[in-house]
Amino acid sequence: MQDKLKDILLKVQKPARYVGGEYNLPDMDKPCEERVCLCFCDKYEVGMSNIGTRILYHMLNDTDGVVCERCYAPDVDMAQQLKINNLPLFSIETKRDVKTFDLIGFSVQFELQFTNIAYMLDLMGIPYYAKDRGEEYPPIVAGGPCVVNPMPFAPFFDAVLIGEGEKNLKELVELHTLCKRQKLSKKEFLERATKLNGVYVPSLNNPVKRAVLEDLDKAYFPTKILVPNCEIVHDRSTIELFRGCANGCRFCQAGFYYRPIRERKVDTLVRYATELMDNTGYDELSLSSLSTSDYSQLKELVARIKEEADKRKVKLALPSLRLDSFEAEIYEDMQGASLTFAPEAGTQRLRNVINKNISEEDILTSLTAALKYGVKNVKLYFITGLPTETDEDLQGIVDIVKLVKQLHYKYGKSKLLNIVVSTSVFIPKPLTPFQWEAQIPIEEMYRKQDFLKDNLRIKNVKYSWHDAKASVIEAVLARGDESIARAVVRAYELGCVFDSWSENFDYDKWIKAFEETNVDYKKFLNGFKEDETLPWDIIDNGVKKSYLLKERHLAYEGKTTPNCIGKCNGCGANKFARCFK
Amino acid sequence: MIILRHYKVDDVSYVSQKDILRVLQRGLKRAKIDVKYSQGFIPHMLTYTSTPVPLGVQSLAEYFGVECSGIDKDEFLKRYNASMPVGMRAVESFYKDKNPNIAAIVTASDYRVKSSQSLSKEIEKIAESQSYFIDVNKKGEVIKKDIAPMVYALKVEDDTLCMRLATGNTNLRCDDVIRHINGKFGCDIKINDIFRTAQLVRDNGSFRDVEEVLR
Repeated sequence: MQDKLKDILLKVQKPARYVGGEYNLPDMDKPCEERVCLCFCDKYEVGMSNIGTRILYHMLNDTDGVVCERCYAPDVDMAQQLKINNLPLFSIETKRDVKTFDLIGFSVQFELQFTNIAYMLDLMGIPYYAKDRGEEYPPIVAGGPCVVNPMPFAPFFDAVLIGEGEKNLKELVELHTLCKRQKLSKKEFLERATKLNGVYVPSLNNPVKRAVLEDLDKAYFPTKILVPNCEIVHDRSTIELFRGCANGCRFCQAGFYYRPIRERKVDTLVRYATELMDNTGYDELSLSSLSTSDYSQLKELVARIKEEADKRKVKLALPSLRLDSFEAEIYEDMQGASLTFAPEAGTQRLRNVINKNISEEDILTSLTAALKYGVKNVKLYFITGLPTETDEDLQGIVDIVKLVKQLHYKYGKSKLLNIVVSTSVFIPKPLTPFQWEAQIPIEEMYRKQDFLKDNLRIKNVKYSWHDAKASVIEAVLARGDESIARAVVRAYELGCVFDSWSENFDYDKWIKAFEETNVDYKKFLNGFKEDETLPWDIIDNGVKKSYLLKERHLAYEGKTTPNCIGKCNGCGANKFARCFK
Repeated sequence: MIILRHYKVDDVSYVSQKDILRVLQRGLKRAKIDVKYSQGFIPHMLTYTSTPVPLGVQSLAEYFGVECSGIDKDEFLKRYNASMPVGMRAVESFYKDKNPNIAAIVTASDYRVKSSQSLSKEIEKIAESQSYFIDVNKKGEVIKKDIAPMVYALKVEDDTLCMRLATGNTNLRCDDVIRHINGKFGCDIKINDIFRTAQLVRDNGSFRDVEEVLR
């Protein structure tokens, strides 16, 4: 394999993606009973940036008797070379044929990666559907954020891990080692796996509760992480301050899925940050979470980490700061000359509907402070097509942009201010109060985008928008049932891969795939009835359906729900683990 | 400043020069070496590299200069080796008062490559010709290039080919030469089996190893 690879590596773009050899590579030669391959459904530079798979990779390699390797979706030029040379998809570390591993795990991060599951299985020489794979193939499992609704891709997998991999992947690997020792069949292993927390076996259709870590502070977190030899998307080290989000924005799947809210202690985080800086040599450290400014001791944390970072000439990055808790003094130190805000909706009315608890005054105060500190670039993110949205709300987006310009004129320290406005199209995602909503028709998406294109023709303002057609397919894939899997395979056969890369996305092929496989995709774009059984209802994610429904009704009344930092709103997620532990 | 000679072998031979610079700088941070920074608006580490080898070619003679303080050359080499990915091992270190600009003074490189079969002595005729045109790829376009003035030596010993080729302002890529030899003489020499073994400076009509000149 290694010799054959030599021939093809110089025929493909960026060969460094396929050879491994990164600094901090775990010992691949240690004695092991279980060899696991973690597959990521996107390119190396995306996969290597993902903190979830990074944690799981090192966690397994730090487990006695287990060796874990990686495999990323090869670019199309590499896939072509593999096929020409009759080579199977291989692991990065030891260049082993992936189907020879004891267990294969796929991380599914995003709906538009579904065709890459078929693409990678095809390159591995493994049948697409679990039902077509006998004992000669290892168990193939999936995890990652898309398991909120695993149904559209469940037929590809023997098991789907629902929840936090630090808990259920570790348990599953231990169980598999045990079953291997006892020479049990794959079927027997899967039957036993249903007894674990957060393991859904599609062939058994077992009801499942999400696996949740009770104490995040004590959870495994690697600080001796792989440092890539070539540039990746997020080329920095990252610490995760807390998991979950207290804000309850009604469109946000992550905000509900990652509950309960669990913080790491300041001491723990400072230790992780220091170790990461020393072990990686990265010149940037990101303090990550869904809403960083909600971390209870942010000031103390930033001050202590900054002291260590300054010594090492490392820059801190604080993504996901909320507009309302924007702290100018933190900003002044950290961010430099660019600022990203996400008001999400243009008017207070619509922000109340989506429960984005930011007032006009918050926007005014925060932006004024930022401009006084000399911000030169402001990025504003909005969502179009939200429930109850009217043209007045779109005009609200334009008004916010004009307001920023006025504020800059009045208070701005920098001479020039560039404003970038980005809009995405609303996708009613599972496990949100808006899961019952319909997506707006594609014509309406275009009309709204045209409205903004016309009205944002303002000097030094750039408007960019998310592709409407990709949003339609994303909605179908997010909300679909098992029937979607056959359309995914057909779409792949028609040439759809790397759909999340806009240059590769082909709407017409997707529609053809739905039609040829008789999948009524439009029914997943329409709204669901409130008493209807939803495709993902078999999964108990923690947050109660009745709570989501209550939130939906409050949305239509334009009433907000405060964040749950001060007082529990009773969403139900704390049945798995106590919030704010 | 301290100058290192290091290897670039195995998997890292597939890492581009742009990325290698980043790998080197991160390694220095991990090694806790007190590197000097530029005084500009965006300060950067004061480090210098030599002319790179083509992607996929291995090297036993890459040079890397670092403006640093508070560390002797042997300790530097030890810490560097503990902080680099496999394939980037340093083998020599020495002091220089200021940046010798290795990339500018080097005019040739020695390469050695072993083939899986015996090689024809006919290959040596490339170096004996007054002019010798081969196809080379220049920014996606195939052009004819007269390489005769840039091939300083070429010797075949059974299955091994040794070449001394122009490096620097007048540059001949070793992979272009090998591709030509593979096509013309029916060989199957792998680009990844080429090793750069030395970088050379022209001195009074003869070539001297750059390290010998600098020391």
